Amino acid sequence: MIATSTTSTVRTVRQTIMQGEARASADERVIMSTVLGSCVATCLYDPIARVGGMNHYLLAKPLDQSVACSDGSYGLYLMELLINEMLKLGADKRRMKARLYGGANMSAGLSRIGSENAAFARQFLRDEAIQTVFEDLEGSNARRIEFSPVNGLVRARTVVGEAVPSIKPINLTKDNPRGGSQGQLGDVDLF
Amino acid sequence: METNQPSAQDASSSQVRVLTVDDSASMRALLRAALTSSGFEVEQAEDGQEALEWLATNEVDVVLTDINMPRLDGFGLIEKLRESALHAERPILVLTTESSDEKKMRAKNAGATGWIVKPFDAAKLTAALRRVAH
Repeated sequence: MIATSTTSTVRTVRQTIMQGEARASADERVIMSTVLGSCVATCLYDPIARVGGMNHYLLAKPLDQSVACSDGSYGLYLMELLINEMLKLGADKRRMKARLYGGANMSAGLSRIGSENAAFARQFLRDEAIQTVFEDLEGSNARRIEFSPVNGLVRARTVVGEAVPSIKPINLTKDNPRGGSQGQLGDVDLF
Repeated sequence: METNQPSAQDASSSQVRVLTVDDSASMRALLRAALTSSGFEVEQAEDGQEALEWLATNEVDVVLTDINMPRLDGFGLIEKLRESALHAERPILVLTTESSDEKKMRAKNAGATGWIVKPFDAAKLTAALRRVAH
C-alpha cells in the first residue's frame, strides 16, 4: 500500500466500492476498499497491463425461475461491467486473475445466502476461464478489504464490532437504478 | 456454434430463431435458458466474427448481439451485416452493459434495430424479440 506522506507527491486515493458497484483503475495511487458481510467482492487484475477493479454484489436467494433468471442477469451484469471497465483501460481478459472475498453466513435465518453468493462467483470465474488465485469466502465473520488494482494486492481483515452494511438483496420486482443516465432494468429502446 | 431446439410449445414464438452473440460463456448460458424456456430456437456465437461467418450460410429471424467482444465487436458486426444484401433488413437488437447515449446513437447509425441495457428482464427481452421478428 502506498503511504501518504507530506514529503511525497504520491498520495493514496481511496475509493469505497458500495454494493451494486463495479469500478476499475490503472492508477497506482488508488486503493479500493469495502466492508463485506454476506456480499461478495470480486477483485480482478491484469498483472501485465497493471489494471484492476472490484465489484461488490449481493444476490437475493432465487424464489422462482423468472426471478432466478433476472437475479443471475444482475450478477452477470456486475461481473461484465467490471470486466468491460478493465478492458477500456487496456486489460486483456485472458490475463485476468481473481481474488474473492466475503460471502459470510452471518445469520442462521438467512439460509446461507453468503454461500450462495460465493458459489455464483466461483461458477462465473470457472465458466469464463478466469483463474482464481485466492479466495477468502464464507465463514461467519464480516470482512474489510483493501485492494490495490494496479498490483492486485489485497489486505483483508475480520471486522469485529464495526458497523457492517445492512443486507439489501436486489429487489428485482422494482425499478433497478443503475446509476448515471441509464434507464430501468432491461429497458428496450427500438429505433 | 451451439444449437438448441425450443422446449416449450408456445405458438407465438416457436418459429422465432434467434442468434445470440456474446463472448461471455455465462451470459450465453443465461440467454439460452431464458430464451429456450420461452419457446425460442437459439443459436449462439462467441463474437462478431463467428456470427458473421455463420450468417454467411445460415438464416435466423433476429440477431441479438453484445457490443464489447474480441475480434469483431457488436458495432463491427452490425456494419458488416448491413453491407450484405442478405442481412440488410435483418432485425438486430443490441444487448449491452454500455449506457452512453453516444454508443447507443452509434449503434443506431450502424443500422441496429434496437438497444437493450443489461441486466436484462426476460419478459421485456422476449417481447422485444417477438415484436421485431414479425
